[in-house]
Amino acid sequence: MRLERPARIRRNSLLFVAPAGALVLLLVALPLLRVIWDSFHFVNLVNPEQAGWAGLENYRTVLDDEEFAPAVVRTVWWTALSVVGEYLLGLVSALALARKVRGRAVFRAILTVPWIVPIVVAGLTWTWMLTPDYGVVNAWLQASGIARHPHHWLGQTETALLAVTFVNVWRSFPFYTISLLAGLQTVPRELYEAAAIDGAGALGRFWHITLPHLRGISLTLVVMHCIWTAINFDFIWVMTEGGPLNASQTLPVLVYRYALQQFDVGAASVVAVFMMLFMAGLVALRLALGRPARAEA
Amino acid sequence: MVERPSSRRLTAVLTYAVLLGFAAYCLVPFLWMVDTAIKPTPEIRSTHPTFLIEHPTLAHFARVIFDTSFLVFFRNSLIVALGSTVATMILAVFAAYAMSRWGRYPAVRAVGGALLISQMIPGVLLLVPLYMLMLDLGLLSSYAALIITYTTFMLPICVFLLKSFFDTIPLELEDAAEIDGCSRLGIIFRVVLPLSLPGLVTTWTFAFIGAWNEFMFGYVLVNTDARRTLTPGILLFKGLYATDWGSLMAAAVLAVLPVAVLFLYLQRFLIKGLASGAVKG
Repeated sequence: MRLERPARIRRNSLLFVAPAGALVLLLVALPLLRVIWDSFHFVNLVNPEQAGWAGLENYRTVLDDEEFAPAVVRTVWWTALSVVGEYLLGLVSALALARKVRGRAVFRAILTVPWIVPIVVAGLTWTWMLTPDYGVVNAWLQASGIARHPHHWLGQTETALLAVTFVNVWRSFPFYTISLLAGLQTVPRELYEAAAIDGAGALGRFWHITLPHLRGISLTLVVMHCIWTAINFDFIWVMTEGGPLNASQTLPVLVYRYALQQFDVGAASVVAVFMMLFMAGLVALRLALGRPARAEA
Repeated sequence: MVERPSSRRLTAVLTYAVLLGFAAYCLVPFLWMVDTAIKPTPEIRSTHPTFLIEHPTLAHFARVIFDTSFLVFFRNSLIVALGSTVATMILAVFAAYAMSRWGRYPAVRAVGGALLISQMIPGVLLLVPLYMLMLDLGLLSSYAALIITYTTFMLPICVFLLKSFFDTIPLELEDAAEIDGCSRLGIIFRVVLPLSLPGLVTTWTFAFIGAWNEFMFGYVLVNTDARRTLTPGILLFKGLYATDWGSLMAAAVLAVLPVAVLFLYLQRFLIKGLASGAVKG
């Protein structure tokens, strides 16, 4: 049968998007609904006898768990410190790269290096550099007189999460650099020239011209990275497995613990639902603050 | 810029100082990794570590390659990364073409919206249901589990990247081909794809780096050494060879090698793609 052209295009359009649509439906939409469903049911990975409607029982399990509240607080700290650190480093490096200096292409490439290293490799390398025995960071700190004794950065409850945050900032800030650099290049040069003629200093120009121009892209960057950092499992698991004594256990680690160490899928789903609500809140906040930068690009 | 020469020189010096500082910050861990990998163990266990190596050695590399499952993990990573990127590209080319050319059709719009939303849904939220799905399907510890999962999570990014490349190809070229009797598939394979070759390469590279570096699903969905990929494999080495940092760093160097080579060749395209903000960190 030979179809007319509009009908043919309609059929083709359906055929072209159907596989992608099916994949998203089966592996994203349905699992997402299943998380919500499981949070109200008893589900156990090793004991199929444990089944059926649970009501709010799983929610009670999680809220009564004395590890839950500290994990929330840690997730907030981990996210806030990471994103602030990444943004500051990203902004400073982007401002430097935006100057027309010789060799900037090479510097730009070098500054992207951390981003291509697998998280496992970044985590392992920094773990080695941070070890108390033979670790180069402690050696340098002692040699420069900043520290008198080697410190077990990842092995002590006070510093473990901070050390992982530091490594996360190292690996993630290049994303900000590249995005902010792209943003900086859209600022019209005439504005700076006009401001300079009007007698505005470098700081004034930065404050009144550069920063407002970066507002949209900054908001998007910060919101997206708040989500990506809060839900990141890899860094913490690779470097500390949430330890020592749960001192670096955040919500994604808790999901893993509940599901694959305690086999309590119901409780794991509850934590995932909380994370989903948090994300929805952030996205709503972003939308309330203005249209996304993607539309501006 | 309207600046006095003296202040211009000052800012140039300042800019270089900042850039050199950042370059050191980014490269030192990388260099230290390589340095440790080719240092003999007695020199690694020094209380005054330096970059200088008195007796460089490849013993750690030999140990990793010949005495561990490294090559099996490496092969698995290669199979999974290639399999998932090829699947992703095939699905993404058609979806992106439809979104670029027929964006007003309801089915296309619906799938486009679904992809946009699913791009924002982090994998860890779906970790448990996907684990149970693979368990039900009997796919745990198989290549298929990882290939299907990676394809799903990379698809949105790749579709949007490809769409932005397809958007730049003039419609007139397609119209001419259609008048000459070319079928829709013919148009895509003979006109659109050849013209967007740089776009295809960029998109594929992003997907490959993403699949190669992925850790969580590889760690959770695979439980046998025969199917384990490199990133969870390296974490396993960390448990097995706890203080043999030379061998661990040698494994790390070998694991970074493929993405480092890709990056060196394609960094201009990749940075441009990164700047378009379409890629997760």
